Amino acid sequence: GLLLVALLVSHMLLIKEGVTSLPICPKGSVNCQLSLEELFDRAVKVSHYIHFVSSEMLYEFAEHYAQGRDFIAKAVNSCHTASLTTPEDKEQAQQIHHEDLLNLILGILRSWNDPLIHLASEVQTIKEAPETILWKAVEIEEQNKRLLEGMEKIVGRVHSGEVENDIHTPWDGLPSLQLADEDSRLSAFYNLLHCFHRDSHKIDNYLKVLKCRLIHDNNC
Amino acid sequence: DILQWPQISKCRSPEMETFSCFWTAGNFYNLTVPRILQLLYKKSNEEDWKECPDYITSGQNSCYFNASYTSVWTPYCVQLASKNEVYDKKCFSVDEIVLPDPPVHLNWTLLNTSQTGIHGDIQVRWDPPPTADVRKGWITLEYELQYKEVNETKWKELKPRLSTMVPLYSLKTARDYEIRIRSRQRTSEKFGEFSDILYVSFSQIGIGCEHCTEEVEFPWFLVVVFGVCGLAVTVISIMLSKQPRLKMLIFPPVPVPKIKGIDPDLLKKGKLDEVNSILACHDNYKTQLYSDDLWVEFIELDIEDPEEKNRASDTDRLLSEDHLKSHSCLGTKDDDSGRASCCEPDIPETDFSASDTCDATSDSGQFKKATEKEEDLLCLDRQDNDESLPSLARTDLQHRHRNTQSENSSVWAPFEDSVESPRLSVHTQISNQNSLTSTDFYAQVSDITPAGRVVLSPGQKSKLGRAQRAGCTEQNFTMDNTYFCEADVKKCIAVTSHEENEPRVQEQGYNEDGYFTTESLSTTVANLGASTAAAPSSEMPVADYTSIHIVQSPQGLVLNATALPVPDKEFNVSCGYVSTDQLNKIMP
Repeated sequence: GLLLVALLVSHMLLIKEGVTSLPICPKGSVNCQLSLEELFDRAVKVSHYIHFVSSEMLYEFAEHYAQGRDFIAKAVNSCHTASLTTPEDKEQAQQIHHEDLLNLILGILRSWNDPLIHLASEVQTIKEAPETILWKAVEIEEQNKRLLEGMEKIVGRVHSGEVENDIHTPWDGLPSLQLADEDSRLSAFYNLLHCFHRDSHKIDNYLKVLKCRLIHDNNC
Repeated sequence: DILQWPQISKCRSPEMETFSCFWTAGNFYNLTVPRILQLLYKKSNEEDWKECPDYITSGQNSCYFNASYTSVWTPYCVQLASKNEVYDKKCFSVDEIVLPDPPVHLNWTLLNTSQTGIHGDIQVRWDPPPTADVRKGWITLEYELQYKEVNETKWKELKPRLSTMVPLYSLKTARDYEIRIRSRQRTSEKFGEFSDILYVSFSQIGIGCEHCTEEVEFPWFLVVVFGVCGLAVTVISIMLSKQPRLKMLIFPPVPVPKIKGIDPDLLKKGKLDEVNSILACHDNYKTQLYSDDLWVEFIELDIEDPEEKNRASDTDRLLSEDHLKSHSCLGTKDDDSGRASCCEPDIPETDFSASDTCDATSDSGQFKKATEKEEDLLCLDRQDNDESLPSLARTDLQHRHRNTQSENSSVWAPFEDSVESPRLSVHTQISNQNSLTSTDFYAQVSDITPAGRVVLSPGQKSKLGRAQRAGCTEQNFTMDNTYFCEADVKKCIAVTSHEENEPRVQEQGYNEDGYFTTESLSTTVANLGASTAAAPSSEMPVADYTSIHIVQSPQGLVLNATALPVPDKEFNVSCGYVSTDQLNKIMP
């Protein structure tokens, strides 16, 4: 108990003095806790990486399979996360409460957990799928899980009240990834990738906004 | 003129809060009734096309959408139309068209200068574009800096980075530089426009070094050229040099075929007993090299030959023609008692008791055996009249110093590499000399006297007519490789022959070891042969036996100059040693 109190006090003092980072927790340590700043730093890094990989994957997919096909993304409304109301501009992002925003981020991440797993497995069955695409599908699925864990940690730290309800949306697009018609199937893949590309960009942006707001006091 | 339709050239958002679209009107505008172009837009979740809210703010032929009209992750479609006609259409979402404005407020400060004052480091700083809200984290920018000297044409680029300052190291203080920076959204690929150019001039802040001497760039080209020339000169000089050792060091000789079962290293190490044990595989032959005298190694020959056993004396044996088992090719009739016919089981034993006529096969066989016979370190008869023998075998034939013994003694030259080439020539020679003598290419050692002398197969008595040939050459032979008997080297042995030309061994034929390799010998002999063209009928000096006088392993063996006591003959220097080098050359 005393140790925890001491840790808390030192943690608060250090944050007040503007110390940028505490020592990183060594592996296997039980009581070590990362600072909120460190958690946000890592979250931003992972979200940026996820968006980067998904951009490349989208680009490669379009290049590889676009011959003769027109991969114009269908209306964005077809994204299964479209029902989630998310800030669409800077104003809205500024105005939303950080806890709500965090929950929103969590919701989006959870909503994508399932589709990414299926994406990673179904993309293997595409004819002549390049190795890079296969690898990237697996990568974003794993990294999404990592980010989800990190976000849950952050939410646990930041959240003052009760944990709100899970706001993630279900995904029913699996049949479309298993269509017999190759063209339709590839279109479905492309749309899914496109939707994820957009959502990963949203998550990345929201996290950066939150980081600047909470950690750096709007002075990144 | 080509008709150009109105086109939407691009849509761009500088900060992800607003965006603008630009178009070109085309040239049909002047041709027909002037039409009014409209830009219509539609968000993806809307049904109706709406008109552009602001045609002015972004300039002519543009449409500006302010923050209230901008939804970042929402797909838009815009179309350029006039009344009923749609000329162009584009669909995008705002986060995909972000191209930031250039950075502003570029400046630089001096970090430090080198001791000589020729180079300096600077730190360049700038501010993000004012439109981009980096502070709130709404947009994250990366920057790419480019710089060059004022009079250069190509810009040097630095890696894109997130920070708004960067050091530039090792700039020349005597030169002026230009710097420019551009930015892009971190998740995009495209950069925005470049900033204004920042001029860096060291002289302005007083540390310019106009009088500094220009640093000469390292003259790589000259270095390479001279290096190559030097190397070529060195290589050529090595190749042309007469230093055998150096030559062999740089250009090692190509190994010659080996003899099965015989390791040249054994020879090198001077372990002749082991060699002999290998070679002495035949029942008929025993070789025994070592005696008490460390300096003397003897080749013991097999004396089990019944014929030989009948010999009364070594000398007789030596001189006896009956036991000639020399190369029939050579015409010798020496006993082939010491020859390589013994050692190798796989070597077909030639019929040495064959007649003078030699046939090719036996020739080759004998030659082979000859070469394999390492102990046959005997001087070869020199066949002066056979100038056509260029090989080492021939060299051996034209042995430096001649014993006057019978030509029946065949001198074996264990020069394997000479086997092939001289074969024919020897052949010829033999045939030439058949009448005269048995040409002795090889002398086989028939016995070893207790005194340590090697008893060679009897030389041909018929060759007695042939005088001993002085194994001297008049010429300068290449010293490095020639074998010379010590005596030869020391003096030219006069050969009491009725032959005219007897080249003299020149004393400068010495090498420091007192013997010479076969090569030199052969060269010498070749020279000799050439020089002694006038002695066609001369019989080749009888083959020589020598006892090994000195073993200087690994360099070789010096055979004893004193020859066997052969009556009526002047045994001159028993040359005919083969240095280890030569042996190695001959041997595989």
